Amino acid sequence: MVRVTIDGQEVLAPKGQGLVETAASVGIEIPVFCYEPRLGPPVGACRMCLCEVEGLPKLQAACTLTATDGLVLRTARTSEQAAGGQSAILEFILLNHPLDCPDCDKGGECPLQDLTFRFGPGSTRMQFPKRTFDKPIPISPLIALDRERCILCYRCTRFSESVSEDGQLVAANRGAQSIIATFEDEPYRAHFSGNVLELCPVGALTSTTYRFRARPWEIQNVPTVCGLCPVGCNVWATTREGKVARILSRNHPEVHEGWLCDKGRFAYDHLRAEDRLRTPLVRVRRRGFEEASHEAALDAAEAGLRAAGSSVVVAFSGGETVEQATALARIVREGLGSDAALLPDDWDAALDAFRAPLSAIRDADVCLILGDDPVVERAPVVDLWLRAARRAEAEVIAVNPAGDVQAAPGSAAQVCADLREGKKVPTELRETAKSLKSAKRVALVWSEDDPTGGRHVGALANELHENGRAEVAVYVLPRTPNGRGVATAWYTVGEGRSDPPGEGEIGALVVSGDEAASDPRVADLAARASFVLTTAMFQSELTAWSHVVLPGTSYLEREGTYVNLEGRPQRLRRAVVPFGPDELEWLAQLAERFGVAIDPWAAPTAAEQADLPPADEFAWSRPDPQAPPGKPAGPGLELVRIGALFSGAAVERIPQLQFQRPAAEVELAHEDASTRGIAPGEAVVVTSNGTSRELRAGLNRKLRVGVVRIPAEHAKDFGDRVQVSRLSTGESR
Amino acid sequence: MSGLYDAIRSVAARYPESRSAILPALRLAQQEHGGWLPPEAFRDVAEALELTPAYCRAVASFYDMFHLEPVGRHMVEVCTNVSCALVGAQQVLEAFEGELGVAAGETTPDGEVTLRTVECAGGCGWGTVVVVDHRYHEPVRPEDVAEIVRELRDAS
Ligand code: SF4
Ligand code: FES
Ligand code: FES
Repeated sequence: MVRVTIDGQEVLAPKGQGLVETAASVGIEIPVFCYEPRLGPPVGACRMCLCEVEGLPKLQAACTLTATDGLVLRTARTSEQAAGGQSAILEFILLNHPLDCPDCDKGGECPLQDLTFRFGPGSTRMQFPKRTFDKPIPISPLIALDRERCILCYRCTRFSESVSEDGQLVAANRGAQSIIATFEDEPYRAHFSGNVLELCPVGALTSTTYRFRARPWEIQNVPTVCGLCPVGCNVWATTREGKVARILSRNHPEVHEGWLCDKGRFAYDHLRAEDRLRTPLVRVRRRGFEEASHEAALDAAEAGLRAAGSSVVVAFSGGETVEQATALARIVREGLGSDAALLPDDWDAALDAFRAPLSAIRDADVCLILGDDPVVERAPVVDLWLRAARRAEAEVIAVNPAGDVQAAPGSAAQVCADLREGKKVPTELRETAKSLKSAKRVALVWSEDDPTGGRHVGALANELHENGRAEVAVYVLPRTPNGRGVATAWYTVGEGRSDPPGEGEIGALVVSGDEAASDPRVADLAARASFVLTTAMFQSELTAWSHVVLPGTSYLEREGTYVNLEGRPQRLRRAVVPFGPDELEWLAQLAERFGVAIDPWAAPTAAEQADLPPADEFAWSRPDPQAPPGKPAGPGLELVRIGALFSGAAVERIPQLQFQRPAAEVELAHEDASTRGIAPGEAVVVTSNGTSRELRAGLNRKLRVGVVRIPAEHAKDFGDRVQVSRLSTGESR
Repeated sequence: MSGLYDAIRSVAARYPESRSAILPALRLAQQEHGGWLPPEAFRDVAEALELTPAYCRAVASFYDMFHLEPVGRHMVEVCTNVSCALVGAQQVLEAFEGELGVAAGETTPDGEVTLRTVECAGGCGWGTVVVVDHRYHEPVRPEDVAEIVRELRDAS
C-alpha cells in the first residue's frame, strides 16, 4: 500500500493502481474518454484527464499514471490549472465535432455531452467551418460510422486489435488525417463487432438497429440475462413502449467482463418476427391445422397424452428455464409415468468439483481446448477469455483438426485418455503433456457435444489434480443456453432416473421449444409417434408433424432461472410481456389436468443467491471412462461440421445479421487443395451420400490433412466423408 | 504469388515475432507490385504474417514511403517541412509543377514521373531537400529544377 494525496485528501492505495481508480475510491472523479482498462494499458490519446501533479511543471494525463508513495495530485476540483487544461481540451476536441446533438442518437447518454457540460467552455471561439465527411458510412450492416463526430480516442480500434483480436477496425493515416476504417470499406464482420457501439464515447459509432428509434428519456432498461448461448452474459434489455429496442451489456466481471457477441446484442427483434406463432394450432383430420382457443388446445393436448398412456417421450431444447423444465419433467414423470427424455446436453454432477468462474481462465498457466467445435461458435465469450489468457502469457493449446495440435476429428475423448496415460503419450501430444505437467493452474475447455456429460475431461482433471497437484478448472461447453439447468432439473425431479427414448412406436412425443423442433433426432422420433405436442415460437418442419402446437416465448419474455456453463444460476427478468400465456402458464394448466400442482409464477430460487462453490472440494469418484473407437477410414475426406453461432431461428429473422451467417464454404487443408488443383476462393463440388453441393473453397494452413470443415447449415444430408473436386473439371478424388 | 509469400516468411524468420516484419514485408510487396500497394498486396502480406489486411493497410497509410495509389516510374519528393519551407521549398515545388506539368500528388500523363511533397527528409541544414528516386539533391533552388528534370527524362 502507498499513500497518495488527491485534492488534499490522503488515500491509501495498492501500489501500481491507476490514479483514475484511486481517485474514484474516495469519490473523486477524473473525467476520461479514451481510458478503459478493459482494453489494455492506457494510451493517453484524448488528454481529458489532465491533472496537476506536484513537482511536475506541466499538466499530466492522470489515466496513464499509477499510485506511488507520496504522489500529490490535484484534479479540476482544486486546481485552476487542471480545470483550465480540461476545458481547453474540450474546446479542442469540439473544434471539428458537429453540434448535432439534437439528432444524434447518443444525445442524452453521451459522455462528450456530459463532460462538456461539466468541465468544458460554455461557448466556442472558433469561427471557421468545421470539417465534414460523407455520413453515415456503413461499417457493416449493423454499425454506422459518422466520422465528423469521432474524437479519435481509439477505443474501438483497441477493442478490435487487443480484445477480440479480429484486427478489422483500424485507424488509417496519421495525425489530423486519421480516420477509423475497415479494409477497402469491407464490412466489419466479426463475432463481437457490436461492442464498439458501447465503447465509443461519442455518437460516431451507432447501431443501425437502434438509430433514430428512441430517446434516452423514453426508454426503460430491464436487467436480465442473455439466453442465446451457455455463457449467460448479463444484459440490459432496453424497452420502449413495450418492445425491446436494443440490448446493452451489464458488466459481470466473472462471466463476460461486459462484452457481448453480436448474436446476443442484435438478435432480439426475432420477438416481433411476422411468422411468429400467436395462437394455438390443432390438427383436425382431413382439414389440416386450425387455430384453436386455449381451452380447446389444452383439451386436445390432454386427450392425446391420455391416449398414449405411459409411452411418452419428452424432447427438451435447453432453452427452457429451470422452472419450465421442472414443470415439464413433473408432468411427464409424475403425471404420465414416463422417464424417457431426449436432453440436448448431458451433465455429470461430479464435474462440479472443478467448477470455477470463467474469469479464472485468464489466470491459468495452461489452457487446453479439446473438441472439434470452434469455441467462439459455441460459447463466444469463452474465446475472449482464452485470448486474454494468451495475452497474459498463458500457454493456450487447442487440440482439434485445425488446432495447434492437429488431432483427428472426434478424438477428444481419446486425447484425454492419452494425456492421462503419462508414459506412452503419442508424439504429437508430448509437448502438451509436458506443459500440463509443469502447470500450476490449468483450465480445461471441452468444446463439442458430449453424450458422456464431460466424464473424459473430468478424469483428466482428476489426474492433473491428484498427481500433478495443479489447480484445475473445467469448462464443458453445453450446446444450448440452459442445457445444464435443464439436465439438472430433469434428473432432480426423477431422482437421477432417465430412460433413452425407446425403439418402435411411441404413444406421445412432447417437443419443448424451437431448438428441439429443429433437432434431426427429434424429427426421427416424431415419425414414430402417434401424437406430437409441440411448443414453438415459429413454424418448422416439425410443427407440421405435430398434432397440437402451443405458441412459445423467448428468453426476453420470461421470468425464471438459467444455469450457465459455469453452473451459475442467473435470473431472467421479463423485459416485455408476451402476447399470451408463457410456457410455464401452459404447463401449469396442463399439469392440473393430470393432478400435478405447479406454480405458474417463477419464484427466485435459493440457489440463485448462492455463489459458486470453491473449486477445492474434491469429489471425483467415477470409474475410468472408455474412449469411443475412432471412425473407420474410407474414400474421400473426413467431414467436420461447424455449428455456427450466427445460425438458428432467431438469427434467421434479423435482416441486418444475415451478413454474419456462415459462408457457403468448405475449408480444405493446403495439401488437399493443391493435390486437387484447387485455388482459394474457387468454386468446388462437394459430394457425399448422393448429395452434391457447390461451395467455395477456403484454404486453411492449420487444418489437418484429410479433413474438411463445412458449416452445418451447408452440410445438410452429407455423411461423414465427402468428395471434393474442382467445378470446372468435375472429376472427383 | 508464392514467391512473395516465401520471401516474406524468410524475412519474418529473423524477428522474434513475425508481425515485427511488417515494414520490410510491405516494402517487398511494394516492389512486387510496381512501386505501390494495391489491395491484393495487403492480402498477401497479411496472409504471410498472419495479420489482417486492414492492419497492414493501416500501417502502410501511416508512412510516406508506402504508396496506396499507382505511382510513376520515377519519384520526385520535395520536402516542405519547416526548415525547407523557410528557404523557399514552395518555389521549388512550383518550379517542379511547371516543369512537369502536374500538381503535387500527381503523375505525369506518360506515367514517368510522380511529384509529391514530403515531411522532413532529415537534411534540414541543406534545404530545400529534393529526393529523386531515393537520391538526395540538396540544396535545390528553383533554377536547378529544369536540369534535374532533364536528367530524369534522359535516364528513362
Ligand atoms: S469512432 Fe468513437 S470510439 Fe472510435 S476513435 Fe472515434 S470517438 Fe473513439
Ligand atoms: S482519458 Fe486520459 S488521455 Fe484519454
Ligand atoms: S525540413 Fe526539409 S529536410 Fe528537414
